[in-house]
Amino acid sequence: MAWRSDRLRWGAAAKGLHWLMALGIIGAGVLGLVMTGMDRGMAKINAFAIHKSIGLTVLALFVLRLAWRFFDRRPADLPMPRLQRIAAHAVHGILYLLMLAIPLAGWLYNSARGYPLQWFKQFNLPALVAKNEGLAEFAIAAHVWLFWILVAVLVAHVGGALLHHFFERDDTLRRMLPFARLRHPPSGESP
Amino acid sequence: MTRPSTLAFLLAGALALPAFAADYSVGANSTLGFTADFQGEKFNGSFRSFEAVIAYDAEHPEASKFDVTIDLASVATGDSDRDDALPGSEFFAVKQHPKARYTTSGFRKDGDQVIADGTLTLKGIRKPVSLRVTFTPAAGGAVLEVATTLKRLDFDVGSGEYADTSTIGNEVAVNGRLELTAKE
Repeated sequence: MAWRSDRLRWGAAAKGLHWLMALGIIGAGVLGLVMTGMDRGMAKINAFAIHKSIGLTVLALFVLRLAWRFFDRRPADLPMPRLQRIAAHAVHGILYLLMLAIPLAGWLYNSARGYPLQWFKQFNLPALVAKNEGLAEFAIAAHVWLFWILVAVLVAHVGGALLHHFFERDDTLRRMLPFARLRHPPSGESP
Repeated sequence: MTRPSTLAFLLAGALALPAFAADYSVGANSTLGFTADFQGEKFNGSFRSFEAVIAYDAEHPEASKFDVTIDLASVATGDSDRDDALPGSEFFAVKQHPKARYTTSGFRKDGDQVIADGTLTLKGIRKPVSLRVTFTPAAGGAVLEVATTLKRLDFDVGSGEYADTSTIGNEVAVNGRLELTAKE
């Protein structure tokens, strides 16, 4: 599998970043929902620490992904109605914005609350702003609201991919899956 | 050392000691605080309420005496979660042990640095603790600064699951700055 994407398929780098981030986003999201209801104690402290560490990882991968996008070509859109294509691209655009905004809002909240920020107990990151309770409340509200918007947009993203896969029976999902073969390889090319 | 000279030495000491150390009262702007480590970041705390009985002689530090009692419930670290947790049984356990106490047993010099040796009783645990002492005379009194580093687990502060030093560091730097006024 080539690192770079071609006209038909996503490359290994784009696939790796996509699925690694998917894993991170789901992990951080589930942990985020669970941790706030935990009883005070070390388990809660550790849950928050891991949530923040995953969030920072997603943020770093996002930057990497954005940078890679400038070097890599995108596979051509598969044939689909114009409105569908516009919807798919809009969903991708919103996902990119949220992948940046949600971790940043979390980091902002963490800073404004005066909490330390450590990546998997390895190193610390600086606060974005000085302690500020008003800003902390705004940032955590944004963090949570943007998360719920992300959930809604992900329903559209995943739902769209599954519709293409099971109903349109095209290669939209297959060309992003790690090891799947294309259903419709162009003639003359081995699948 | 012969017997008469030992006696003379002891006598000289016994007579000389009380004569030099001056008693001081401790001003309201004095502070007693600490710096600890949580998730790789330092935070400062202080005790808003403590009492210190200080007798000090800069010329003969061995004649000095500190007796400090700290109201542990008065701890403040600038974070409400932490300030709620610290008086609890896993940390200071203020219900069972409301006060910590430090009393000196002697003073010595390490080069130019005066060191106070003494005992800290915290959470019912007694351990020897030495302080670095800096005494700076000022008009009508002096500024007394003390500093040391403790291991919180020596005193069972942050017990049970909180004993995890990869999240809460074991070493805690303690610092005091007392504004002293000479007693009449």
